[in-house]
Amino acid sequence: MLARRFPGGVLAVSTVSTVLVVDDSALMHRVYEVMLRDRPMLHAHDGDEALRLIDQRSDIGLVLLDINMPTISGFEVLDRLRAAGRVPGLPVIVITTEGRDEEAARGLAAGAAAYLTKPFRSEQIRDTIARLESSAKT
Amino acid sequence: MTDSESTKPGTLPGLVNGDELVRHLRDTLDRAASLAGALSEALARISPQQPQETEPAFQERLRAAETDAHDLASRLVESENQLGRLMNLYVATYQLHAVPDPAQVRATIADISVNLLGAQQFVLLLRRDETADWEVALREGIRDPSAFPLYAADAYTIGGDPQVDATLVDGSLKLGPFTDSTALAVVPLKFQQEVLGVLVLLKLFDHRPPLRADDRELLDLLSAHAASALLAARLFAAKDRRLKTLESLIRLARPE
Repeated sequence: MLARRFPGGVLAVSTVSTVLVVDDSALMHRVYEVMLRDRPMLHAHDGDEALRLIDQRSDIGLVLLDINMPTISGFEVLDRLRAAGRVPGLPVIVITTEGRDEEAARGLAAGAAAYLTKPFRSEQIRDTIARLESSAKT
Repeated sequence: MTDSESTKPGTLPGLVNGDELVRHLRDTLDRAASLAGALSEALARISPQQPQETEPAFQERLRAAETDAHDLASRLVESENQLGRLMNLYVATYQLHAVPDPAQVRATIADISVNLLGAQQFVLLLRRDETADWEVALREGIRDPSAFPLYAADAYTIGGDPQVDATLVDGSLKLGPFTDSTALAVVPLKFQQEVLGVLVLLKLFDHRPPLRADDRELLDLLSAHAASALLAARLFAAKDRRLKTLESLIRLARPE
Protein backbone atom coordinates (compact mmCIF):
# COMPACT_ATOMS: atom_id res chain seq x y z
CA MET A 1 0.00 0.00 0.00
CA LEU A 2 1.60 3.18 -1.14
CA ALA A 3 -0.78 5.70 0.39
CA ARG A 4 -2.39 5.75 3.80
CA ARG A 5 -5.12 7.69 5.49
CA PHE A 6 -4.36 8.92 8.98
CA PRO A 7 -6.63 10.08 11.78
CA GLY A 8 -7.90 13.58 11.09
CA GLY A 9 -8.18 12.92 7.37
CA VAL A 10 -4.54 13.56 6.59
CA LEU A 11 -3.50 11.67 3.51
CA ALA A 12 0.03 10.43 3.11
CA VAL A 13 2.04 9.46 0.08
CA SER A 14 5.02 7.18 0.03
CA THR A 15 8.23 8.65 -1.35
CA VAL A 16 8.80 5.68 -3.65
CA SER A 17 5.46 5.82 -5.44
CA THR A 18 4.81 6.86 -9.02
CA VAL A 19 3.21 10.21 -9.76
CA LEU A 20 0.37 10.21 -12.30
CA VAL A 21 0.04 13.52 -14.13
CA VAL A 22 -3.38 14.14 -15.66
CA ASP A 23 -3.53 17.16 -17.96
CA ASP A 24 -4.57 17.83 -21.55
CA SER A 25 -1.62 20.23 -21.97
CA ALA A 26 1.62 18.76 -23.32
CA LEU A 27 3.38 21.82 -21.95
CA MET A 28 2.26 21.04 -18.40
CA HIS A 29 3.46 17.45 -18.70
CA ARG A 30 6.88 18.85 -19.59
CA VAL A 31 6.67 21.28 -16.66
CA TYR A 32 6.00 18.45 -14.22
CA GLU A 33 8.82 16.36 -15.70
CA VAL A 34 11.25 19.18 -14.95
CA MET A 35 9.82 20.15 -11.56
CA LEU A 36 9.59 16.59 -10.29
CA ARG A 37 12.49 15.09 -12.21
CA ASP A 38 13.54 12.91 -9.29
CA ARG A 39 10.27 10.95 -9.28
CA PRO A 40 8.92 8.16 -11.47
CA MET A 41 6.05 9.58 -13.51
CA LEU A 42 3.15 8.41 -15.66
CA HIS A 43 1.25 10.65 -18.04
CA ALA A 44 -2.44 10.77 -18.90
CA HIS A 45 -3.80 13.35 -21.36
CA ASP A 46 -7.45 12.99 -20.47
CA GLY A 47 -9.69 11.69 -17.70
CA ASP A 48 -10.47 8.37 -19.35
CA GLU A 49 -6.79 7.55 -19.76
CA ALA A 50 -6.20 8.53 -16.13
CA LEU A 51 -8.95 6.26 -14.83
CA ARG A 52 -7.63 3.40 -16.95
CA LEU A 53 -4.07 3.85 -15.64
CA ILE A 54 -5.21 4.08 -12.02
CA ASP A 55 -7.11 0.85 -12.53
CA GLN A 56 -4.18 -0.95 -14.14
CA ARG A 57 -1.21 0.32 -12.15
CA SER A 58 -0.79 -0.42 -8.48
CA ASP A 59 2.37 1.70 -8.16
CA ILE A 60 0.58 5.05 -8.49
CA GLY A 61 0.83 6.80 -5.15
CA LEU A 62 -0.04 10.37 -6.09
CA VAL A 63 -2.19 12.00 -8.75
CA LEU A 64 -1.76 15.55 -10.06
CA LEU A 65 -5.16 16.23 -11.62
CA ASP A 66 -5.95 19.18 -13.84
CA ILE A 67 -9.53 20.33 -13.46
CA ASN A 68 -10.05 22.04 -16.82
CA MET A 69 -9.97 19.23 -19.37
CA PRO A 70 -12.13 18.96 -22.48
CA THR A 71 -13.75 15.49 -22.47
CA ILE A 72 -14.33 14.82 -18.78
CA SER A 73 -13.27 17.39 -16.20
CA GLY A 74 -11.02 16.74 -13.27
CA PHE A 75 -14.00 17.01 -10.93
CA GLU A 76 -15.70 14.21 -12.81
CA VAL A 77 -12.57 12.07 -12.58
CA LEU A 78 -12.52 12.73 -8.84
CA ASP A 79 -16.19 11.79 -8.52
CA ARG A 80 -15.58 8.51 -10.36
CA LEU A 81 -12.58 7.73 -8.18
CA ARG A 82 -14.65 8.38 -5.08
CA ALA A 83 -17.47 6.20 -6.36
CA ALA A 84 -14.92 3.43 -6.92
CA GLY A 85 -13.58 3.87 -3.40
CA ARG A 86 -10.14 4.96 -4.59
CA VAL A 87 -10.21 8.35 -2.89
CA PRO A 88 -9.48 9.58 -0.34
CA GLY A 89 -7.08 6.61 -0.05
CA LEU A 90 -5.18 7.68 -3.16
CA PRO A 91 -3.85 11.23 -2.66
CA VAL A 92 -5.01 13.60 -5.39
CA ILE A 93 -3.77 17.17 -5.79
CA VAL A 94 -6.20 19.13 -7.97
CA ILE A 95 -4.62 21.73 -10.24
CA THR A 96 -6.62 24.56 -11.74
CA THR A 97 -6.28 27.95 -13.34
CA GLU A 98 -9.17 29.38 -11.36
CA GLY A 99 -8.36 30.77 -7.94
CA ARG A 100 -11.90 30.69 -6.64
CA ASP A 101 -12.46 29.38 -3.12
CA GLU A 102 -15.53 27.44 -4.19
CA GLU A 103 -13.45 25.41 -6.64
CA ALA A 104 -10.97 24.60 -3.91
CA ALA A 105 -13.76 23.63 -1.56
CA ARG A 106 -15.40 21.48 -4.22
CA GLY A 107 -12.16 19.65 -4.93
CA LEU A 108 -11.41 19.02 -1.28
CA ALA A 109 -14.99 17.93 -0.59
CA ALA A 110 -14.73 15.48 -3.48
CA GLY A 111 -11.77 13.81 -1.82
CA ALA A 112 -8.73 15.74 -3.03
CA ALA A 113 -5.83 15.98 -0.61
CA ALA A 114 -4.67 19.41 -1.72
CA TYR A 115 -5.28 22.20 -4.22
CA LEU A 116 -2.95 24.31 -6.38
CA THR A 117 -3.60 27.11 -8.84
CA LYS A 118 -1.65 27.72 -12.03
CA PRO A 119 0.76 29.24 -12.61
CA PHE A 120 2.65 27.82 -9.64
CA ARG A 121 6.31 27.73 -8.76
CA SER A 122 8.20 24.47 -8.41
CA GLU A 123 8.65 24.95 -4.67
CA GLN A 124 4.88 25.24 -4.24
CA ILE A 125 4.19 21.84 -5.70
CA ARG A 126 7.24 20.29 -4.03
CA ASP A 127 6.18 21.72 -0.65
CA THR A 128 2.65 20.37 -1.10
CA ILE A 129 3.95 16.90 -1.94
CA ALA A 130 6.48 17.07 0.90
CA ARG A 131 3.68 17.92 3.31
CA LEU A 132 1.79 14.82 2.23
CA GLU A 133 4.96 12.72 2.43
CA SER A 134 5.86 13.94 5.90
CA SER A 135 2.51 12.61 7.09
CA ALA A 136 3.51 9.20 5.77
CA LYS A 137 6.63 9.21 7.92
CA THR A 138 4.88 10.14 11.18
CA MET B 1 42.23 -4.04 55.57
CA THR B 2 40.01 -5.83 58.04
CA ASP B 3 36.27 -5.72 57.99
CA SER B 4 36.25 -3.86 61.27
CA GLU B 5 38.47 -1.10 59.88
CA SER B 6 36.40 -0.78 56.68
CA THR B 7 33.24 -0.28 58.65
CA LYS B 8 34.70 2.06 61.26
CA PRO B 9 32.85 5.40 61.14
CA GLY B 10 34.86 8.26 59.61
CA THR B 11 37.05 6.04 57.47
CA LEU B 12 37.24 5.54 53.73
CA PRO B 13 37.74 2.17 52.20
CA GLY B 14 41.47 1.44 51.77
CA LEU B 15 42.64 4.08 54.29
CA VAL B 16 44.08 2.84 57.49
CA ASN B 17 44.69 5.91 59.59
CA GLY B 18 44.35 9.68 59.83
CA ASP B 19 47.64 10.41 58.02
CA GLU B 20 46.51 8.55 55.00
CA LEU B 21 43.19 10.30 55.17
CA VAL B 22 44.91 13.67 55.22
CA ARG B 23 47.12 12.63 52.32
CA HIS B 24 44.01 11.55 50.39
CA LEU B 25 42.28 14.80 51.11
CA ARG B 26 45.36 16.77 50.02
CA ASP B 27 45.56 14.77 46.77
CA THR B 28 41.89 15.39 46.14
CA LEU B 29 42.29 19.11 46.75
CA ASP B 30 45.34 19.23 44.46
CA ARG B 31 43.42 17.48 41.70
CA ALA B 32 40.47 19.87 42.21
CA ALA B 33 42.82 22.85 41.99
CA SER B 34 44.38 21.60 38.77
CA LEU B 35 40.93 20.98 37.29
CA ALA B 36 39.81 24.47 38.30
CA GLY B 37 42.91 25.91 36.65
CA ALA B 38 42.25 24.01 33.44
CA LEU B 39 38.62 25.18 33.45
CA SER B 40 39.68 28.80 33.93
CA GLU B 41 42.09 28.54 30.99
CA ALA B 42 39.40 27.06 28.81
CA LEU B 43 36.93 29.81 29.74
CA ALA B 44 39.57 32.46 29.08
CA ARG B 45 40.10 31.08 25.56
CA ILE B 46 36.43 31.37 24.60
CA SER B 47 35.68 34.52 26.50
CA PRO B 48 36.56 38.02 25.30
CA GLN B 49 39.84 39.50 26.34
CA GLN B 50 38.17 42.34 28.17
CA PRO B 51 35.29 40.94 30.19
CA GLN B 52 33.72 44.37 30.62
CA GLU B 53 33.05 44.49 26.82
CA THR B 54 31.45 41.06 26.50
CA GLU B 55 27.87 42.24 26.24
CA PRO B 56 28.25 44.88 23.46
CA ALA B 57 30.72 42.76 21.47
CA PHE B 58 28.44 39.78 21.73
CA GLN B 59 25.47 41.81 20.62
CA GLU B 60 27.47 43.12 17.67
CA ARG B 61 28.46 39.61 16.63
CA LEU B 62 24.86 38.50 17.01
CA ARG B 63 23.62 41.34 14.80
CA ALA B 64 26.24 40.54 12.16
CA ALA B 65 25.27 36.84 12.22
CA GLU B 66 21.59 37.75 11.87
CA THR B 67 22.35 40.04 8.93
CA ASP B 68 24.38 37.29 7.24
CA ALA B 69 21.60 34.77 7.78
CA HIS B 70 19.03 37.20 6.35
CA ASP B 71 21.23 37.88 3.30
CA LEU B 72 21.70 34.16 2.71
CA ALA B 73 17.96 33.55 2.98
CA SER B 74 17.25 36.37 0.50
CA ARG B 75 19.81 34.96 -1.92
CA LEU B 76 18.33 31.50 -1.57
CA VAL B 77 14.83 32.81 -2.36
CA GLU B 78 16.18 34.71 -5.37
CA SER B 79 17.99 31.59 -6.59
CA GLU B 80 14.79 29.59 -6.29
CA ASN B 81 12.90 32.24 -8.25
CA GLN B 82 15.61 32.34 -10.89
CA LEU B 83 15.51 28.57 -11.17
CA GLY B 84 11.75 28.70 -11.61
CA ARG B 85 12.04 31.29 -14.38
CA LEU B 86 14.74 29.28 -16.15
CA MET B 87 12.59 26.20 -15.93
CA ASN B 88 9.68 28.06 -17.54
CA LEU B 89 11.94 29.35 -20.31
CA TYR B 90 13.28 25.87 -21.01
CA VAL B 91 9.86 24.22 -21.08
CA ALA B 92 8.35 26.97 -23.25
CA THR B 93 11.20 26.79 -25.78
CA TYR B 94 11.12 23.01 -25.87
CA GLN B 95 7.40 22.82 -26.47
CA LEU B 96 7.27 25.59 -29.09
CA HIS B 97 9.72 23.71 -31.28
CA ALA B 98 8.51 20.20 -30.46
CA VAL B 99 6.00 19.80 -33.29
CA PRO B 100 6.45 21.62 -36.66
CA ASP B 101 2.74 22.11 -37.20
CA PRO B 102 1.22 25.64 -37.35
CA ALA B 103 -1.92 24.66 -35.43
CA GLN B 104 0.16 22.98 -32.74
CA VAL B 105 2.43 26.00 -32.40
CA ARG B 106 -0.61 28.25 -31.98
CA ALA B 107 -1.96 25.85 -29.33
CA THR B 108 1.38 25.94 -27.52
CA ILE B 109 1.37 29.75 -27.53
CA ALA B 110 -2.07 29.56 -25.92
CA ASP B 111 -0.80 26.94 -23.46
CA ILE B 112 2.15 29.12 -22.43
CA SER B 113 -0.10 32.13 -22.01
CA VAL B 114 -2.54 30.26 -19.77
CA ASN B 115 -0.32 27.92 -17.79
CA LEU B 116 2.93 29.88 -17.44
CA LEU B 117 1.80 33.51 -17.68
CA GLY B 118 -1.60 33.10 -16.05
CA ALA B 119 -3.48 34.92 -18.80
CA GLN B 120 -7.24 34.42 -18.74
CA GLN B 121 -8.11 36.44 -21.85
CA PHE B 122 -5.88 37.02 -24.85
CA VAL B 123 -5.85 37.09 -28.63
CA LEU B 124 -3.25 36.10 -31.18
CA LEU B 125 -3.08 38.17 -34.36
CA LEU B 126 -1.17 36.72 -37.29
CA ARG B 127 -0.34 38.22 -40.65
CA ARG B 128 -2.27 36.57 -43.42
CA ASP B 129 0.01 35.19 -46.10
CA GLU B 130 0.77 37.64 -48.89
CA THR B 131 -1.58 40.30 -47.51
CA ALA B 132 -1.48 43.21 -45.12
CA ASP B 133 -4.37 41.84 -43.07
CA TRP B 134 -4.07 40.59 -39.52
CA GLU B 135 -6.09 37.47 -38.80
CA VAL B 136 -7.48 36.82 -35.33
CA ALA B 137 -5.89 33.38 -35.20
CA LEU B 138 -6.71 32.69 -31.57
CA ARG B 139 -9.24 34.07 -29.13
CA GLU B 140 -9.07 32.66 -25.61
CA GLY B 141 -11.29 33.26 -22.60
CA ILE B 142 -13.52 35.83 -24.32
CA ARG B 143 -17.01 34.48 -23.83
CA ASP B 144 -18.70 37.77 -24.67
CA PRO B 145 -17.26 39.18 -27.95
CA SER B 146 -18.78 42.57 -27.20
CA ALA B 147 -16.35 42.94 -24.29
CA PHE B 148 -13.51 43.24 -26.80
CA PRO B 149 -15.16 44.27 -30.06
CA LEU B 150 -11.80 44.90 -31.77
CA TYR B 151 -11.19 41.15 -31.77
CA ALA B 152 -14.74 39.88 -32.35
CA ALA B 153 -14.37 39.44 -36.10
CA ASP B 154 -11.98 37.18 -38.01
CA ALA B 155 -9.62 40.04 -38.79
CA TYR B 156 -8.16 42.92 -36.81
CA THR B 157 -8.52 46.35 -38.34
CA ILE B 158 -5.58 48.72 -38.06
CA GLY B 159 -6.59 51.81 -36.10
CA GLY B 160 -8.41 49.87 -33.42
CA ASP B 161 -5.83 49.86 -30.58
CA PRO B 162 -2.88 52.31 -30.58
CA GLN B 163 -0.57 49.99 -28.65
CA VAL B 164 -1.32 47.04 -30.91
CA ASP B 165 -0.91 49.19 -34.02
CA ALA B 166 2.44 50.53 -32.78
CA THR B 167 3.69 47.03 -32.02
CA LEU B 168 2.67 45.72 -35.43
CA VAL B 169 4.86 48.43 -36.93
CA ASP B 170 7.88 48.70 -34.61
CA GLY B 171 7.94 45.13 -33.27
CA SER B 172 8.77 46.16 -29.71
CA LEU B 173 7.32 44.52 -26.61
CA LYS B 174 4.96 46.74 -24.65
CA LEU B 175 4.00 46.20 -21.01
CA GLY B 176 0.99 48.04 -19.67
CA PRO B 177 -1.19 49.15 -18.15
CA PHE B 178 -1.94 51.72 -20.83
CA THR B 179 -4.23 54.71 -20.80
CA ASP B 180 -5.17 54.28 -24.47
CA SER B 181 -5.52 50.51 -24.70
CA THR B 182 -7.39 47.59 -23.13
CA ALA B 183 -4.27 45.44 -23.43
CA LEU B 184 -2.12 44.51 -20.45
CA ALA B 185 0.76 43.61 -22.73
CA VAL B 186 1.40 43.44 -26.45
CA VAL B 187 4.00 40.86 -27.45
CA PRO B 188 5.33 40.94 -31.02
CA LEU B 189 6.12 37.66 -32.70
CA LYS B 190 9.21 38.82 -34.52
CA PHE B 191 11.69 36.91 -36.67
CA GLN B 192 14.68 38.80 -38.02
CA GLN B 193 12.97 42.20 -37.87
CA GLU B 194 9.81 40.88 -39.51
CA VAL B 195 6.68 40.98 -37.36
CA LEU B 196 4.64 37.84 -38.02
CA GLY B 197 1.98 38.68 -35.47
CA VAL B 198 1.25 39.86 -31.94
CA LEU B 199 -0.02 38.27 -28.77
CA VAL B 200 -2.33 40.67 -26.95
CA LEU B 201 -2.84 39.87 -23.28
CA LEU B 202 -6.16 41.35 -22.15
CA LYS B 203 -6.75 39.92 -18.66
CA LEU B 204 -4.90 37.81 -16.12
CA PHE B 205 -6.53 35.33 -13.76
CA ASP B 206 -7.81 37.04 -10.63
CA HIS B 207 -5.37 35.23 -8.37
CA ARG B 208 -2.43 36.13 -10.59
CA PRO B 209 -0.48 39.27 -9.54
CA PRO B 210 0.06 41.96 -12.23
CA LEU B 211 2.77 41.42 -14.83
CA ARG B 212 6.20 42.29 -13.46
CA ALA B 213 9.70 42.77 -14.80
CA ASP B 214 10.31 39.07 -14.06
CA ASP B 215 7.66 38.11 -16.61
CA ARG B 216 9.49 40.03 -19.31
CA GLU B 217 11.99 37.20 -19.79
CA LEU B 218 9.22 34.80 -20.73
CA LEU B 219 7.54 37.41 -22.94
CA ASP B 220 10.84 38.11 -24.72
CA LEU B 221 11.30 34.40 -25.28
CA LEU B 222 7.78 34.11 -26.62
CA SER B 223 8.44 37.03 -28.94
CA ALA B 224 11.44 35.33 -30.55
CA HIS B 225 10.77 31.63 -30.29
CA ALA B 226 7.06 31.67 -31.03
CA ALA B 227 7.85 33.54 -34.26
CA SER B 228 10.62 31.17 -35.33
CA ALA B 229 8.55 28.11 -34.40
CA LEU B 230 5.60 29.45 -36.38
CA LEU B 231 7.74 30.21 -39.41
CA ALA B 232 9.42 26.80 -39.30
CA ALA B 233 6.06 25.10 -38.93
CA ARG B 234 4.63 26.99 -41.91
CA LEU B 235 7.64 26.12 -44.08
CA PHE B 236 7.45 22.49 -43.02
CA ALA B 237 3.72 22.39 -43.75
CA ALA B 238 4.25 23.95 -47.19
CA LYS B 239 7.03 21.48 -48.05
CA ASP B 240 4.91 18.61 -46.76
CA ARG B 241 2.00 19.66 -48.96
CA ARG B 242 4.28 19.87 -52.02
CA LEU B 243 5.73 16.47 -51.23
CA LYS B 244 2.27 14.92 -50.96
CA THR B 245 1.25 16.58 -54.23
CA LEU B 246 4.32 15.19 -55.99
CA GLU B 247 3.70 11.75 -54.53
CA SER B 248 0.11 11.85 -55.81
CA LEU B 249 1.31 12.84 -59.28
CA ILE B 250 3.85 10.04 -59.30
CA ARG B 251 1.19 7.52 -58.30
CA LEU B 252 -1.06 8.76 -61.09
CA ALA B 253 1.72 8.65 -63.64
CA ARG B 254 2.89 5.19 -62.66
CA PRO B 255 1.50 2.47 -64.91
CA GLU B 256 -0.79 -0.04 -63.17
